[in-house]
Amino acid sequence: MIVKLFMLGCNDRKGVFLGFLIATLFFASGIPKLQVDTGVDSLIPANDPARLIYQRVSSEFGTDNKTIIYIKDSQLWTPERLASLETLHRAIEKTEDVTRVDSLYNLHTIEGSDGKINTKPVLASAPQTAEGAERAKRSALSNPLYIGNFFSDDGNVTAMVVSVNDIHDDQNFSKDMTETIESLLARHRDDFEQMVQVGPPRINAELKSSLYEDFILLGPLSALILVLSILFFMRSGLSAMIPLVTSVMTIVWTFGMLGWLGIPINILSAMLPSLIIVIGSTEDTHLMAAFFRGLVCAEKEPRKEAIEYMASHIGLPLVLTVLTTALGFASNLFSDIGLIQHFSIAATFAMIANGVVTILVVPLILSFFGPDQIKKEEENQTTLNLPGKMVKLFCYSKDHFPGAILISTALLCLFFIYQASSLYVTNDPLSYFPDDRPLIQDTRRIHEDLAGIKIFFITLESNSKNTFQYPKNVAKLKEIQGFMEKQGVFDRSISIADHLAFVNREFRGEFAEMSLPETRQLVAQYLMFFHRSDLDSYVSHDFSRANIVVRHNISDSHTLNRYIEELEDAVTHIAGPGLKAHIIGENLMVNSAAENLMVAQVKALAILLALIFIIMSAMFTSLKGGLIALVPAIIPIALMFGIMGLLEIPLNPGTAMVAVIAIGIAVDGTIHLLARYNELCRRTSDYREAVDIAVSEEATPLIVSCLGLSLGFGILLFSNFTVVAQFGALAAATMLFSIFANLLITPIIMSKVRLVGLYQILAMKIDQQVLDNTPLFNDMTNYQRRKAILISELNEFEQGELLVEQDTHGRDMYLILEGQAEVIRRDDGESRTLATLNPGAVFGEIGYIREAERTADVRATTPISALRFDYQKMQNDLKFFPNIVAKLNFNISYILGERLADMVEHSKK
Amino acid sequence: MTNLKNKLLTLALLLAPVMAVASPALSGIEIMEEIYRRHQQYPYVYEQQSMVMRDRYGKRDTRKAHRYSRVEEDGSAKFMLIFDYPQEIEGVTVLAVRDPSGVMKKSVYLPAFAEQLIENSAEDNFGNFLGTDFTVENIVGEVLSDYRYERRQDRNMNNMPYFVIDVYQAANDEADHPLRRHFVRQDNFFIGQTEHLDNLGRLHKRQTYHDLKAVDGQMWRSGMILMEDVKEQHQSLLKVTRRWFSHDYVPAEMFTADWLYKNHPYIEPRPVEDEINHEEDSDSTTENDEQVSQLSGQGMEQP
Repeated sequence: MIVKLFMLGCNDRKGVFLGFLIATLFFASGIPKLQVDTGVDSLIPANDPARLIYQRVSSEFGTDNKTIIYIKDSQLWTPERLASLETLHRAIEKTEDVTRVDSLYNLHTIEGSDGKINTKPVLASAPQTAEGAERAKRSALSNPLYIGNFFSDDGNVTAMVVSVNDIHDDQNFSKDMTETIESLLARHRDDFEQMVQVGPPRINAELKSSLYEDFILLGPLSALILVLSILFFMRSGLSAMIPLVTSVMTIVWTFGMLGWLGIPINILSAMLPSLIIVIGSTEDTHLMAAFFRGLVCAEKEPRKEAIEYMASHIGLPLVLTVLTTALGFASNLFSDIGLIQHFSIAATFAMIANGVVTILVVPLILSFFGPDQIKKEEENQTTLNLPGKMVKLFCYSKDHFPGAILISTALLCLFFIYQASSLYVTNDPLSYFPDDRPLIQDTRRIHEDLAGIKIFFITLESNSKNTFQYPKNVAKLKEIQGFMEKQGVFDRSISIADHLAFVNREFRGEFAEMSLPETRQLVAQYLMFFHRSDLDSYVSHDFSRANIVVRHNISDSHTLNRYIEELEDAVTHIAGPGLKAHIIGENLMVNSAAENLMVAQVKALAILLALIFIIMSAMFTSLKGGLIALVPAIIPIALMFGIMGLLEIPLNPGTAMVAVIAIGIAVDGTIHLLARYNELCRRTSDYREAVDIAVSEEATPLIVSCLGLSLGFGILLFSNFTVVAQFGALAAATMLFSIFANLLITPIIMSKVRLVGLYQILAMKIDQQVLDNTPLFNDMTNYQRRKAILISELNEFEQGELLVEQDTHGRDMYLILEGQAEVIRRDDGESRTLATLNPGAVFGEIGYIREAERTADVRATTPISALRFDYQKMQNDLKFFPNIVAKLNFNISYILGERLADMVEHSKK
Repeated sequence: MTNLKNKLLTLALLLAPVMAVASPALSGIEIMEEIYRRHQQYPYVYEQQSMVMRDRYGKRDTRKAHRYSRVEEDGSAKFMLIFDYPQEIEGVTVLAVRDPSGVMKKSVYLPAFAEQLIENSAEDNFGNFLGTDFTVENIVGEVLSDYRYERRQDRNMNNMPYFVIDVYQAANDEADHPLRRHFVRQDNFFIGQTEHLDNLGRLHKRQTYHDLKAVDGQMWRSGMILMEDVKEQHQSLLKVTRRWFSHDYVPAEMFTADWLYKNHPYIEPRPVEDEINHEEDSDSTTENDEQVSQLSGQGMEQP
């Protein structure tokens, strides 16, 4: 069926061409509908119960979506600089969609001294004199509520906090808003030493622009590298062009599908074109290698025969590799994190689409443009170039130090697994950017001089009104803030307790340094000095809920989550049974989702390894086969995680997918290698030779594809996103490790274990009647027969060839499957035909049972296919199947008995 | 003469209505003086007031207060607002005293803090008054000599002719835009609306007067004043529930610290307070809330 599918492109070229044209046009029409999603929403699990709480809290206490304009100048408090700031403040206020600007021009403060209280703005308008500016500075810096939020300790830095409308449905909103504010800042930039903006609109806009840049750069660069590497290794222009054609079609199909289904592209999608080009090309490389091999054997219609050869030899492995690669991506389909899930849908579809396109289009192209004959240098290339040299090195190592290699690999894996124990997770959007990016440096600058730009809320809730007018409850807020201060990781926290303590200090004087009012009445009376809008972020209208606003700059999700967990315990304890406590924030939800990454990673890996094990076990009808296939998968994973631990690369939405994706791809090489080895095992009893041949034949496509994949993944290092670059680097390293695992470790194991593939048994076309009628398998179940067959070897003999030679020693027994043979006894120069053997007949059973000289020749009178049973191997391989051994021994005894009876009969005559 | 002038100037709280025929020749200051002249008739006023504050989310707070004012023979004026609802702020007092020379002194008394009148030297012209959208000046009234008044083109609103007066700081001759803009009804010289502008000359707050009644002859009074903060989207409604024009209700001794300490004594802190209040505060604000909603943005036609 697979061969038929492959041949469709060759046999019905017009139909396949038209079908693809229509499908491609259909998908292409979906591309204009594509949406881009760079919002943090996709980083939060859709079913996170914290979402609802966050929505409620943010609707009550205000959004954490605020842009901070950082302004630094050592001469900030001069009339000129302050006038410039005022102009900027007013200009930003006028900007459309800006809902509020908070700066020293609308902050109010309270000052108390000598029985007087003075409520006043920090600055109503720019001062005309240096004294006025100095007064404003003193006023600003004396209010502890503003230090860290609006002013640095030394007063050289001030911040404007700009709140904007959340317009999610406008694709360009963030970009437009960032540019508008930037154009206003540009007019004043010369007036100050430093002036930058940081906030969700800028982050969002930069994510989007970086995404577009990645799309423009990475895809074409991957294509270029692919073409060059294939030209270098394969020396064939056609081999380089075919992957390009299939990749372009797959890219159109994939992005068209995303457009039609309304699935947005995200920062991980930026690597899709590269992945499609690189991963897709590996299958094409294997196909082209098989096509060239087919050309060597082809006679009448070289192209068609080579395509048939390609289909019959690569067809099933290709389907399996497409399946395993798609499974690698699909293992993330059920991720809670939208970003990963959307990427997983797109990539899984892409891999399947690439398989379909490859199976149907490559034969179509080859039938038109494929060469009719192979050049001599192409035929020999597998042994002449780099892969050949690598194979030689691996073979030498395998033959001379197999034990040492296995032990050192095991030790290496243990070392890297130990290193992997220091892995940590992060999901912070800012960590997606490299450290040297201006946005990150600006964020750090704000954190150093003010408080970090990341915000979360701690809310305490009661069922009763006015709860937070009671000093005891207000004190709880202060206690929680005190605990955070002891933790020492959060930059700043503000609550209504700070407001009350500040007013209390101003009324009572410095001796009451930040102590809280003692009575409910005083709390209520102090609160009259604030306008409700001053308190909106800190206490609900009816004082039943209070909110602590916390600012920080922690990017490491693991660290943040650990401190939040600690804080949750403390908050719950401090709040007591009468109050409900929540620690909530978009930023926290995003970071909390990082823990899911770790769990999802382990789950996805386990699922993928289990699937690979099942598929390979089924393929070889042996659990051993499944286990061997896992070896080249597990070694690169261990090394990759170890490197992450060593180099302190975090587990993030990018790197979390490396293991499953890279293994899904790396196992392709394993499948091709094992399949080839399996095929060879049917023809030879020398497993070592089979291993060597399989490795030398598969090495070129495997090494070429792995190097190509490494280069392709390596291109992702040019991405604007750290997560994508880290993904690329680690996937590239994993690919290189897989060469080592596939061509050195696996062969060492393979040379000690023999595997036979079920599909080959199925492909043997053994006449079931032969198996039913042969006395060797008499009274055996199909499973028992198959097991016995799997341990035998399939040998082919030409007409006239001697299968067994009289007077020689041998312990092989044969079962004829096809063809005919004669048993000839030579005595004193005379030959007598003793018997004619037909399909189902068994011979050589005496030597099998007991080492003795062969009593007659057996010669093929027609071409023969026969199963050869080696005594020693049967004893070894079937020792765990005593029933099968018993049945076989009984049947052999029966055959020998029959033979004896015949002889007695014959002698009587 | 000075005393008389001060008397005229200081009755900011008495926005007197007088039916008069407006003369186009009147200047800004003349119109303002005419407004103030019509308020001189009753120097002793006591009002019971309700204040409803609504924030941008539509949530409301209600306060109740007693407002006392008297103008003395020497031209000095005294103004006092004492809150009595909700219970926690009972006794909180704002006392404003303007001496004969026009200097205003404002003090605050918080019974829960101490028996101490704290001088409030607020510099904030736009600063809100004890959590409301009003400033003390909005309630006490402006001293005419502190400002410069420029008459602008008259306007018709709701088929009613209005004088338009721009108010500037007297000391600032070069201001680009006014501090506020009064809209004065031409039929009774009553300020129907005041727009308070920000530094850029944009509308910041709008103060409108409702429920106008002729109290006595030419004198008109407003039963409700709505202050809308356009920027912050807050509203504060000041509603006069009862009003007396009588010396008996505003004796001179009540404008002193001693009177306050005696009638609203210091509240001693209790050793232990309930952690959570399980009382549900009674909500007596429904009627007032509805009035805020009705008046908000529609009390007067926008000029």
